[in-house]
Amino acid sequence: MGGSKIIPSGGVNQGAANQGIDAIVSGFERLGYVTDRSLATAVYLVTKLRKPILVEGHSGLGKTEVAKVLASFLGTRLIRLQCYEGLDVSSAVYEWNYQKQLLAIKIEEGSDKTVEEKERHIFSREFLLERPLLQSILAEDASPVLLIDEIDRADEAFEAFLLELLSDYQITIPEMGAIHAKHVPYVVLTSNRSRELGDALKRRCLYQWIDYPSLEKEMKIVRTKLPDIEQALARQIVGYIQSVRGLNLSKPPGVAETLDCAEALLALGKPQLDEDAIEQTLGCISKSVEDNAKIREAGLGTILAQST
Amino acid sequence: MSGFAEQSGDTARTIVEFCRFARGKGLSAGVQETLGALEAAALLGVLNSDDLKFGLRSILCASKDDWDLFEECFQIFWSGALDASPHATKRQQEHASRVGARNPASLMSTASGDDVSSERDGAQAVTGASVGERLTKADFSTLPQSDFAALEQIALRLFKHMSRRLARRRRLATLRGQVDLRRTIRRSISRGGEPINLRYRQRKPRPHRLVTLLDISGSMSPYSLFLVKFLYALQKHFRHVDTFLFSTDLVEITNLFRARRLQDALQALSQQPAGWSGGTRIGGSLREFNQIHRRKLRSSDTLFIILSDGWDTGDCGVLSAELSAVKRRVHRLIWLNPLLGLKDYQPITSGMSAALAHIDVFAPAHNLESLLALEKHL
Repeated sequence: MGGSKIIPSGGVNQGAANQGIDAIVSGFERLGYVTDRSLATAVYLVTKLRKPILVEGHSGLGKTEVAKVLASFLGTRLIRLQCYEGLDVSSAVYEWNYQKQLLAIKIEEGSDKTVEEKERHIFSREFLLERPLLQSILAEDASPVLLIDEIDRADEAFEAFLLELLSDYQITIPEMGAIHAKHVPYVVLTSNRSRELGDALKRRCLYQWIDYPSLEKEMKIVRTKLPDIEQALARQIVGYIQSVRGLNLSKPPGVAETLDCAEALLALGKPQLDEDAIEQTLGCISKSVEDNAKIREAGLGTILAQST
Repeated sequence: MSGFAEQSGDTARTIVEFCRFARGKGLSAGVQETLGALEAAALLGVLNSDDLKFGLRSILCASKDDWDLFEECFQIFWSGALDASPHATKRQQEHASRVGARNPASLMSTASGDDVSSERDGAQAVTGASVGERLTKADFSTLPQSDFAALEQIALRLFKHMSRRLARRRRLATLRGQVDLRRTIRRSISRGGEPINLRYRQRKPRPHRLVTLLDISGSMSPYSLFLVKFLYALQKHFRHVDTFLFSTDLVEITNLFRARRLQDALQALSQQPAGWSGGTRIGGSLREFNQIHRRKLRSSDTLFIILSDGWDTGDCGVLSAELSAVKRRVHRLIWLNPLLGLKDYQPITSGMSAALAHIDVFAPAHNLESLLALEKHL
């Protein structure tokens, strides 16, 4: 590959890229997802280079949301595969509808079809249960967004299978042959980093790390999601959560917790954040006894003072 | 931004140079990534440096470590300060500072120094069979400092072997599982659809949950370092691990142990104020455990390991009561005692004799051999 072939000399294309990224930022925001230029650039590259993207970050920071918003932004279908330990091909890719096959075999018992004909019949599309990965390959009209959520929970064997899928966008069913994707899906993988992913898979993907948002960004998120909230209260809540994140908890609160807490305060009709209010909504931001204790130990009053 | 305004051929070269530069800095980017970077640069253009940076970052990085490293690479490369010689690569620096940091904790003071050499001459350090044998049997507390590097190498290798064996053994031990409908039907076609030969599907073996309490009081300090490393190696093969340290108080270090490199875990550990080399209150620590962390135990599959020499300055009645409470909630309770390696040792300290009634396995933990022997109880 010569450099001159790859890098266009004119600036036209570059302006287009700039506009494309701007469009993603504003489009996502319209859909209620506050993003920054870093993520938008990565998403832009996903749509142009058609590579999968691996999104990592702590929980509750909107990793999954990226795929959902991308699907509505592109006006296409979202297909979701939730990974878990022990996930196997029959629940991720496809399975034959056994009951129906058994019935079909019984029904055809008296008929004079040959064994080959019977076999072809019971292994046709009619008896195929399509699971998420196969669905994403079979999409007829447009490229869907395929969300593979929490890939770190699945085991290595599944990861290896995925690798094959993501390089050829093709699935082989022994009884039917290989199926190619008509429209290559946009693939979003998320991971909580509970285990290291294989190098080969990471290689294949674009990478995006989502960090805890800055005070300004988090404010914007709260005001986007909860338009009714008072500016001052939102400011207090965000400041409070941000200082709680500094407490070295085992599960620091994410943005999802911020929103929960804000919603709870709205529901309780609290005009402002005080020690009482924090105590009442502690369950929104800390999900374990140990973390509760740590927050109390740090002193609700102290945290409150720091955050304002 | 001097490189940017040039001709397109130059731009491509600059991007390639940057990729090489980043690789030199420790970023795990290969040729594929370089090609990707060129593509991205073509798409994004070089006019807006932020877009280019974000784009290159998502292409060239593959992990959080890379992500953190990238910022610095980009800064240095495009600020024109290409002469990178004064900056040792960041990972090297980290390493140096880690090694350099002398720590008061007994754990770290034994660890420092040896780790560097063992990593650097990993391949050359050939240890003969006889040396290996001697080291495997040597008591940690009497081992000369000079042998630590060699012992550690052997230890890490053997720990790895052990875990591999563990994985294999479980797979063979599983019995027939559920009927695999899919294969059964496939087979039944030749018999006109009568499922005569059933096919089975096995459940994947699930490792146990592991909860460990490591005694780091003064009397245990010759052993603590090795036991910590042993626990770190062990945790990879359990589905769920909770790790605690105790001397007079209980400290949870599960999170610190999640670091993916042993070095990082030890570094984090050394900064944890955990009462290294203090007194011992086993009973009190166990009570604390039972009060706060009891729900982490599940009688069906939890393995509970205490590593301690049983020198308790607290009340033995408490120890006995708390141990029996633990015992009721776990699958197996294992107590590893380094002193058991001494020839004339009898578990007659009041703490130890109180504990003996409740434990399933009482085993030594004074040398490598004894740790590896633990395999049969896991």
